[in-house]
Amino acid sequence: MNGKTETKELIGFLARLAVAGVFIYAGLLKALAPAEEFGYAIESYGVLNSQLSLWSAYIVPWLEIYAGLLLAAGVFTRLSALFTGAMLIFFEVMLGQAWLRKLPVTSCGCFGSSGGNSLTREFLQNLIFLALAWAAFKYGGRWSADKAVETL
Amino acid sequence: MIDRKTARLLTLAGMIVFVSTIAVLLARQFNLGPVRPAPDFRTFGPPTAPVQIYEYTDFACPACRHAAVKIDEMMKIYGPGLRVSFKHYPLMNIHPWSLHAAAYADCAGAQGKFKEYAGLLFENQGTWAQSKEKPKDFEIYAARLKLDWPEMQACADAPETVKRLKLDIAEADMKGVNATPTFFINGKRAVGGGQLVDQARKFDNLLGRAAKQ
Repeated sequence: MNGKTETKELIGFLARLAVAGVFIYAGLLKALAPAEEFGYAIESYGVLNSQLSLWSAYIVPWLEIYAGLLLAAGVFTRLSALFTGAMLIFFEVMLGQAWLRKLPVTSCGCFGSSGGNSLTREFLQNLIFLALAWAAFKYGGRWSADKAVETL
Repeated sequence: MIDRKTARLLTLAGMIVFVSTIAVLLARQFNLGPVRPAPDFRTFGPPTAPVQIYEYTDFACPACRHAAVKIDEMMKIYGPGLRVSFKHYPLMNIHPWSLHAAAYADCAGAQGKFKEYAGLLFENQGTWAQSKEKPKDFEIYAARLKLDWPEMQACADAPETVKRLKLDIAEADMKGVNATPTFFINGKRAVGGGQLVDQARKFDNLLGRAAKQ
């Protein structure tokens, strides 16, 4: 294995851990708070009604935790990275449409309801996470459960 | 047919999902989530107080009335050692006007008189709590405290007020609160005034030291 490949794999591994960490953290903050809190945040995007927002608020934090943990452990690494990437794209669409429609979103709900960045800042931040998810997808296979299982 | 490698990975994924689910549910049960602060008008005592009490209360509950007296006594005794935040947990199935009372108390708080309005609600529980029709008492108490009643009515119906109450209730449900008053004293649960005093005694050193400063 040459040095260039090794560097790429190291970057992929670190990107995998970074995206996983963000997902686990964001999911935990929401899963340990009342779902209604995140539900109100989702409702403010003006896409789902209150009932569907609440259901989404029950489900999304768990998906974030599971996706983050699977990605961190490197279980089905490419699939997990793809899934987190898809979630990030979905979040970007939600943020983008709220920004374009100039909706009064006071808390994006991304990391629970207590902390609230501007929509633009969250959008840009998610772009960085998306780039990291891509790196994890492409080069994140090193030190993963996928590899460990192969050698067993 | 699933190959051996995929089967192992699926087993591992299942284990991760199972263990993380249990861990998060336990963390919820043990109240390990971030603390959602109560509004300033429902919070009493310095932010740096070593003992922080969150009380889930219902204005129509007699035990909450007794506990309110105990809390007042404790605040007098321990002063800067104690910070108390009130959260609403109206038991609407047995107290039909509790939610209204909570909303009006918050709106009195917005006009700077939460504690006084709450005091009147507790004091006169017997007259409004089991009323068949919407009690006039809420307006009478507002007048007694020289509060702007039309503003209070508008505030009580405002989505922001309703949202705040619903979040208090949802948070209490998530923490497994099912009786009032329930207290969390530096995270430790106590139900009723008796348990409150017992739990608070465990923090005697902290409270005493802060009171002396």
